[in-house]
Amino acid sequence: MVQFVVDVLIRAVDLALIAIGLSSVYSLIRFPNVALVQYATTGALLALGLQMAGLPLVVAAIAACALVGIIAVVLNVVVFERLLRAGSAIAMVGSLALSMVFSAIFLVTAGPRPKRFELEINPPLRFLGARLTEHQLISVGISALAIGVFALILFRTDLGRCMRATATNSVLASATGIDTRKVTNTVVFLSGVMAALGGIGLSVKGEMSAQLGLDMLLPVFAAAILGGLGNALGAAVGAVVIAAAETMVTNVNFGPLFGESVLFIPAAYATAASFLLLVVVLLIKPYGLFVSEVKRV
Amino acid sequence: MFEFLIHVAIMACLYGLLSLSLNLQVGFGGLVNFGQVILFGCGTYGAAIAFSHQLGPVAGIALGIVFAVVVAAAFARLGRNLGADYWGIATLAVAEVLRILANNEAWLTGGAQGISGIPLLFGDMPRPMGPLMTLGLCLVLLLAAWWLCQRLTTSRYGLALKLMREEPQLAASLGYDLAALKTQTLMVAAVLAAASGFVFAHYITFVGPDQLVSSETFLIWAMVIIGGSGNHLGAIVGAILMQFLFAFVPFVKDALGLPSEYVAAMRLTLVGGGLLAFLMWRTQGLIPERIGGKQNG
Repeated sequence: MVQFVVDVLIRAVDLALIAIGLSSVYSLIRFPNVALVQYATTGALLALGLQMAGLPLVVAAIAACALVGIIAVVLNVVVFERLLRAGSAIAMVGSLALSMVFSAIFLVTAGPRPKRFELEINPPLRFLGARLTEHQLISVGISALAIGVFALILFRTDLGRCMRATATNSVLASATGIDTRKVTNTVVFLSGVMAALGGIGLSVKGEMSAQLGLDMLLPVFAAAILGGLGNALGAAVGAVVIAAAETMVTNVNFGPLFGESVLFIPAAYATAASFLLLVVVLLIKPYGLFVSEVKRV
Repeated sequence: MFEFLIHVAIMACLYGLLSLSLNLQVGFGGLVNFGQVILFGCGTYGAAIAFSHQLGPVAGIALGIVFAVVVAAAFARLGRNLGADYWGIATLAVAEVLRILANNEAWLTGGAQGISGIPLLFGDMPRPMGPLMTLGLCLVLLLAAWWLCQRLTTSRYGLALKLMREEPQLAASLGYDLAALKTQTLMVAAVLAAASGFVFAHYITFVGPDQLVSSETFLIWAMVIIGGSGNHLGAIVGAILMQFLFAFVPFVKDALGLPSEYVAAMRLTLVGGGLLAFLMWRTQGLIPERIGGKQNG
């Protein structure tokens, strides 16, 4: 049971980081940015490149996060502000196109083969009977800390108040003197940083490949939609639900339910479980579990 | 070289069908379908499953159309009360779940190896005639589909679709049943896509889950947007253009002496970059939609 909780947490934190980024940007500019999952891969690849250039991993990771944040802002100003004038569906298709260009860049720069960070391998620690490695512990800690910091920014600072005001009513917010464009770009920067951190966290715990981002696309969207797109902390809850569903499908023995001793669902269905969950939730509660907006046609 | 050109032309026609089908949904109905490839997959697997159960090709096309219509009905049920962005993600999720199913349920679909040995449609003809006959059949299908789409969209029905795209609330207030409109559009589009899949299965003689990855959907999207969404001729021109560009990428790679991952990267750049460029600078595409009643092309 403890192992189950630990596995869920390990999976959930990185999902949550990217999903929160997605959701908070959505709350401001009303379109889900598909390219965000590619920012995660960019972060991981940049961190790897900087580490290979001789920087210690921590410095490389911080630099990569900052760089990805800047890339996110530049792309928002150059591409998405223009696309959004044509409508949110156009902007969404545009973000898809952008993420394909990212894939092409990854293929050419990093090659199709998976890579790993250079980390020393330690024996796993024991925690209440659950196995986890030191790297997993540190990475989960950092990601959880980042989520906490983001929540603090959102609810305890002036910037957070401006963000929430802009999300609720951007016309009124700019009438009261809030520079909504600056607020949006700040949030886009933060979302890039969180996505990069999530990508680095994922690849510290496993392998990193050019496919990393696209493999995360549906789980991240499932988490964000479950939490209600635009509701940043709902996305964190959504991530836990998705991670729990994925872990349950692969780790739980369904045998006793069907009168057999051992019955496991094939591991390939782990991702399918989260997508199915997404579809079912959309059927029952079309705007996610925690809705904060008026229903549209 | 001649046979290669015929091959490219056949593929261009099959993609032209898919592009017409997506154009009907996106260009006219404003339905952001990111699961288009699975409608095509219904056609291919319909043909393949009929073949592996020793049923004739007539059963194959019937099976494919039934599959496709069922999936389209599911998409439409999901889309009944979802915003465009949510629905796009939901269709993507459904398509992925179905692809994972096809990949794992080996008793029905042959699993990852797929089903091979599906007979050619004109297999008993001498060598250059068989492909030529297939090309003829594809052209006839494409023209028939074009005529059908043209008839549909120049009628009052087409105007209702456009009204639904532009002003859904107004359309609802005028008494149009939006849910029924969406369902009918999706079903017509699904039949076109399934027909394309059926011919594809009998031409390539192999059907597998790798043909149904979501990047295929985005390729069809690129065809529609670059050709001109809301214009049937545009959709066909986009398909032919992209297909011929794709076919010549390997030659460019050989001429420049690049490694083989550049083929994938160049194709991704063509699709993603082309899509993005058109969205940003020429949203109406190569052949813009014509506004107006009867002359509407």
